[in-house]
Amino acid sequence: MISKKVILTGSFGVGKTSLFNKFLYNRFNDKYMTTIGVKVDKKVVNVDGSELSMLLWDIAGEVSQDKVPHSYFLGASGIIYVFDLTRPSTFMNMASDIEYLKNLLPGVTIKIVGNKIDLVTPERMAKLETELPLPYDILTSAKEGDQVEDLFYALGKDLITNATTNV
Amino acid sequence: MPISSNAQNEAKSIELLRQILLKEDRSEVEQLKAILNDPDQLSERISPIVEKHLEDMKKNFPIEYNATIENIITRKLENSQEELLNTISPVMGQMIRKYIQHQFQLLKESLDQQLDATLNQGVIGKVRNLFGGGKSKVTSEEFIANLDRPIIEEIYVIEHNSGILLGSASRKETINIDVIAGMLTAIKSFVEDAFKRGKQDLEMIQYGTFSILLENFHSYYIAAAVSGSMSMRERVELEKDLAKFAENELKVNLQQNDSSANLVIKRKLEEHFFEPQKEALLQGKLTD
Repeated sequence: MISKKVILTGSFGVGKTSLFNKFLYNRFNDKYMTTIGVKVDKKVVNVDGSELSMLLWDIAGEVSQDKVPHSYFLGASGIIYVFDLTRPSTFMNMASDIEYLKNLLPGVTIKIVGNKIDLVTPERMAKLETELPLPYDILTSAKEGDQVEDLFYALGKDLITNATTNV
Repeated sequence: MPISSNAQNEAKSIELLRQILLKEDRSEVEQLKAILNDPDQLSERISPIVEKHLEDMKKNFPIEYNATIENIITRKLENSQEELLNTISPVMGQMIRKYIQHQFQLLKESLDQQLDATLNQGVIGKVRNLFGGGKSKVTSEEFIANLDRPIIEEIYVIEHNSGILLGSASRKETINIDVIAGMLTAIKSFVEDAFKRGKQDLEMIQYGTFSILLENFHSYYIAAAVSGSMSMRERVELEKDLAKFAENELKVNLQQNDSSANLVIKRKLEEHFFEPQKEALLQGKLTD
C-alpha cells in the first residue's frame, strides 16, 4: 500500500477541520473550533482498486511562512488549499500562498478548494468566478458533505498516478 | 462694722467651710494623682483589671467575634486566592516532599527487614549463604531498581518530514500507530522549528517515568517509548543499541512504499528489542 502525507491548509475558519472530520469520520461539528497547531490522522482510500494510505495533517491557520513552522509542510505529496467562498480575505493571498508552497515543495499536487458552497447563491458564485485570483479545483460543503469524498478521491488518484509515474 | 468688712469675713468663712468640706476629696485627688504619676503604682492597680478583661475576652472571643472574623478571612481569601496559592504552594510542596521522603524511608526500612528475613536469614538465606558465601546481601535499593528498570514498550521507525511509518513493534496492541508516528513527527518538527537551533534535533520527550527516545538518522528516525526510570548510562546504552540496529538491520530501501518492507522491519525490531518475544519465537510459541 502506498502512503502519502497530505496537508490541509488555508486561513482560519475556512473549514479545514470540518473537511478533515467529514472525510475521516463522516461528521460535521457545527461549533467552530480553532485548531491548535496541527492534528494528524490517517485514512485509507481505495482508488480504482489501488489502496492509498493518506496521512492527513490538518494545520491551523495561515499558510504564510512566519505563522506556521515550514517543516510541517516538508515531506508532503499533496496539499489541499482551502478558502471560504463567503470571505474574500481568505482567498486574497491565494496566489502568493500557492507560489510559496510550490517553491517549498516542487512537484507537489495541490487542490484548491472553495468551501461553504451551501452558503453561496448561484449569482454570487458567478461573480466570485471573476474575483478569484486563481481557478479552483473543486467546491465543497463540509456541512452538507457535498463533494468531500470526491475531493479526496481526486487527490488520491493524482497521488497514485504520480507515484506510479515516478517509479 | 462697715459693709466691706462684713463681706470679707463672709468670704473667709466660705473658704474655711470649703476647706473643711473638701478636705477628704482633695486628699483623695492627691492620692489618685500620685498613683497616676507613678507607673508602678498604676500598673499594680490596673494589671488585675486588664488581666481579668483578657481572660474574659479569651473565654468570650469566639462567641462574640467568630462570625465577624470568619467573614473577614473569607473575604480576604477570596480577594487574594492567587497570591495565597503562590505563597502556600512551595511550602505545601516541601511538606509533601518531606512526607513522601519519610514514608519512603519507612518503606525502605520495612523492605530491608523483610528482605533480610526472607532472603538473607531464612531458609533461602541459609541456602544462599551456603552456595554464595553470604557475599551478595540483597538490599532494597537493588530490589527497587529491578522493579523499576526501563523497558522498551513500543518502537517506531519513521520517515523524516512526512512522518510516514516505515515499521514498528509494540509489546501490546497499539491502535493508530500511523497517527502516533505523524503526531510525533509534528511535535518534533514544531520543537525544532520553534527554537531554531540550527541542525539540532529533538532527542527526547519525557513525562513522568515514561520517555520517548528519538534517535535521528539521515532519512528516518527511530522513536523508542520506554517505561520506567532510565539513568543516563542506560540512555547512552540504548542510543548505542539503536544506532547499531540501524547500521545492521535498516539497510533496506526505507523509502519504498511496500507493506512487506514494513513487516520485515517489524520482525527485525521485535527480534532485536523484545527479548521475551524473541525467546518465544525461538521456542516456537509464537507464529509470525
